[in-house]
Amino acid sequence: MAVEIDSEDPERFFVRGKGRYVDDIKLEGMLHLHVVRSPYARARVISVSGGITGNELRASMEAVGEDAGGEENTSVSFPVLATETVNYVGQPVAAVLGDDRYEAEDRADEVDVQYEPLTPVMDPERSLESGPIHRQMKDNLVAESVLGKDFKANAPIELEDTLRMARMSPNPLEPRGLVAAYDGSMLTVYASTQSVFSWREGLAGSLGMPEDKIRVVQMDTGGAFGSKGGIYPEYVVAAHAAMKTKRPVKWIENRYEHLMTTDQGRGVRAKMKVYAERNGKVKGLKADLLIDAGAYPVGGGGWVASWISSQLIGPYYIPKAYATSRAVLTNKVNLGPYRGAGRPEAAFFMERMMDKVADETGLDQAEVRMRNTTTKGWTTPLGRKTPPSKPFFNEALRAFKYSSRKKKEKLGLSLFVLVPASSGGESAKVAVKGGRVKVWMGGNSHGQGHGLFAKMLASKELGVPENLIDFQHTDTSALSSGVGSWGSRTAMLGGGAVVEASRKLKAAAKKKLGKRYSKARLLEGEYEAEAFFKPKDFLNSLGANMASARITKVGMGTIDEVVSYYDVGTPLTPYMVESQIEGGTAQGLGEVMYEQVLYSEDGQLLTPSIADAGLIHSTEMPKVVAMTGTHRSSLKHGAKGLGESPTIGVPPAATRALEVALGRRFSYLPIEQEKLWAVELPKE
Amino acid sequence: MNPPEFEYVAPKTVQEAVDLLKVRGEWAKVLAGGQSLIPLLKLRLASPALLVDIGKVPGLDYLAESDGHLRMGAMVRVADLNRSALLKKKYPAIHDASGVIADPLVRNLGTVGGNISHGDPANDLPAVMLASEGEMAATGSGGNRVIKAEDFFTDTFTTALAHDEILTEVRVPVPLPRSGGAYLKVEQKVGDFASAGVAVQLSVDRASMCTKVGIGLTAVGPTAVKAKKAEEAMLGKQVTDRVAVAEAAALAADAATPTSDIRGTAEYKKRLVRLLVARGLKRASERAGGKE
Repeated sequence: MAVEIDSEDPERFFVRGKGRYVDDIKLEGMLHLHVVRSPYARARVISVSGGITGNELRASMEAVGEDAGGEENTSVSFPVLATETVNYVGQPVAAVLGDDRYEAEDRADEVDVQYEPLTPVMDPERSLESGPIHRQMKDNLVAESVLGKDFKANAPIELEDTLRMARMSPNPLEPRGLVAAYDGSMLTVYASTQSVFSWREGLAGSLGMPEDKIRVVQMDTGGAFGSKGGIYPEYVVAAHAAMKTKRPVKWIENRYEHLMTTDQGRGVRAKMKVYAERNGKVKGLKADLLIDAGAYPVGGGGWVASWISSQLIGPYYIPKAYATSRAVLTNKVNLGPYRGAGRPEAAFFMERMMDKVADETGLDQAEVRMRNTTTKGWTTPLGRKTPPSKPFFNEALRAFKYSSRKKKEKLGLSLFVLVPASSGGESAKVAVKGGRVKVWMGGNSHGQGHGLFAKMLASKELGVPENLIDFQHTDTSALSSGVGSWGSRTAMLGGGAVVEASRKLKAAAKKKLGKRYSKARLLEGEYEAEAFFKPKDFLNSLGANMASARITKVGMGTIDEVVSYYDVGTPLTPYMVESQIEGGTAQGLGEVMYEQVLYSEDGQLLTPSIADAGLIHSTEMPKVVAMTGTHRSSLKHGAKGLGESPTIGVPPAATRALEVALGRRFSYLPIEQEKLWAVELPKE
Repeated sequence: MNPPEFEYVAPKTVQEAVDLLKVRGEWAKVLAGGQSLIPLLKLRLASPALLVDIGKVPGLDYLAESDGHLRMGAMVRVADLNRSALLKKKYPAIHDASGVIADPLVRNLGTVGGNISHGDPANDLPAVMLASEGEMAATGSGGNRVIKAEDFFTDTFTTALAHDEILTEVRVPVPLPRSGGAYLKVEQKVGDFASAGVAVQLSVDRASMCTKVGIGLTAVGPTAVKAKKAEEAMLGKQVTDRVAVAEAAALAADAATPTSDIRGTAEYKKRLVRLLVARGLKRASERAGGKE
């Protein structure tokens, strides 16, 4: 009952409809899973009857949650299926199976859940003064971070602002999903995923099964933006159902479920204060962040507090800084990574303050930034190692033709550091058999076309033409270990691992063949090499954006053009670099003008469809100009990170351009439509 | 996102369709272009036992002037309105609206009859009908009747149609010489529902004095709103009379009862109505004077 996966390079098939996604899988006897979800943001579960329930899971598994308890706030676990309380709209409570999706959904009627609704905690500002959401916790604080040292400031300029970024749903084109199949000993999971290895680890932990009894196979994956890195309750339930029924079980998320129950990103409020000289030099920064962590401490709330605040200084030289940060619980779906995952927040907060310094001092926005750049690398008082930013910013301004364009256009700028998720390393495997080469990476493409550079790098190392190289989906049975694809890491780490594995393979072939070694003889043999690449190098890189705004005929501000200048090191596949920038620019602009997840006071989702969620269309897209600075990294193949740069750099630049065009300060994203009017609306 | 089981019938005549509706009562629902009903089925917000598809009834897709009216068969697609040279020239308010309803995919399938009989205050054609003295012709088990637009929209998702009545034709009077119209809509992005929309239809005499004024509002009340006081305020006034226009715009905003939502606050939407009424009167009057 194995799923056949096309061994040919899948990338070029997508536009012809030949991709093979998890929902394309049809297995003999396959059942469809439908999840029954909480209609309440917060309620006591009095009883659940019918379908697969949390109590059934509890009887057969280890870590199903709610029973954990304990002294520490972070010890509350996230239940697979709720049995005692529900804490966000859409939380899984039970599951039903059917021969097709229609039947499965009909069977939801067989499940009866009795709830006693409770008053939800929706506003993070009031979370700490509200009683704890979970009875096992003493309050709603998930994480607290203090970085730097408090200081007494003595500066001629003190500027304050409260900035806010709304919660965002990742919204990949393909929602989440899986097929689970069990043959009596081995559980095989076909997944739409960013990491087969973290899925395996999560499933093993939740199901109480050894990892070697679980195989996770990646299918073509249509985007993720952070939403497909870790496991979710539905995956555990589907796996349980497959083992219980001895039939394959498919679960495919629909868009409504995605908006309700897939972890959301952003949702941060920052109180920022900068101390500056009249010449625009910033001497000190104080920040206080409040992060909406959602319903369970297992979400991103735990790590994001210090992660965002550590990056606040960005590319600038600010000698004094003090940043406090708290992540608090609310009755919303968990906080999770969304393209950038903390990096865009830090950049938006700092860049908004740089623009405020420009407005206060009357200096040009580029000049203020330039005066705060550095000529030497340094470690900020918030603990981040930062590259010298002055030469790069000069390059970017020249590339933007900023000084001539600013005379006639309404421009916004941004300058930022991309801190990639480069720790932890990544694996790759290269194999030669039957005259062809196969390449695997531990963290794989979920729409970025990683296969193109993986083949290019293997081809270069082995001297074998690309048409003899097949790029493979990641599969826990093909590699001995691996990490995953996120945090702008794969070109650097996956690419580096492909280079290393190729060199290892070549060395092995040379050792075996000795002087007889040739490319042709290499292909005649059978070789295999796996490498785990873990660079010690400092891989942070710099990026800048410029946006141009104009007023439409209707009289509203809009973005006309977005230009990027990112240091991607050696661009491995320039076309894919450009595509990444285009897509990320669309998301960055969506965040500025349209996209958000909104809840009512009683915790109901006010943005339950993709139209409400505000995704940008082609009709709203401005001209996008993608330029790259190419300063090789220290890695053998010279790559630097890219994926998250546009969602970091575009929002502050576009916000500033609109601010310049409309003459009013913007502190919250997305900007409300009402505030985008250039003409004055009649008043009562 | 998958509908429960339902029966589907595609009758060949309106009478057959009406008979089915009568027999099956409230459990039957008319399917036209499906652009609102199908999503409701998929979300299980509506679960009729029977869908009566009137898409296979011949002769419901005409679009022509006769007997002093522009007559639009209920099954005319929104995209066809937008392609019509006649509408562009003589019925610009309808033409404007047909270009901003949802997105091209919806317009290709969505119908005039469906857009109106769904009773959604955020749909664009109801306000146009209220501004243009529109009438709805319906066939039911009790025979045929004609309902004026201002009597048609009774509540949110509710119209004057009985459950066994089918909207067959939507019509507006052929405009007098020196008439013009406009439909203005502000949306978040293309394809979105209106934050607010305004339809204006007017006629002027040789001295540019308004002899007829219709103003309809989208997405600012439980139904599309006919701004009667605003209409009256413009009658007998020059379209260039700034004071009169401002007065009409304010009266139109008074008639609006929007709610705050993701598209903006109630107050913002009222201010938007004022802006759009003033702009709509201007554009309609320019068109009445022959200017495009």
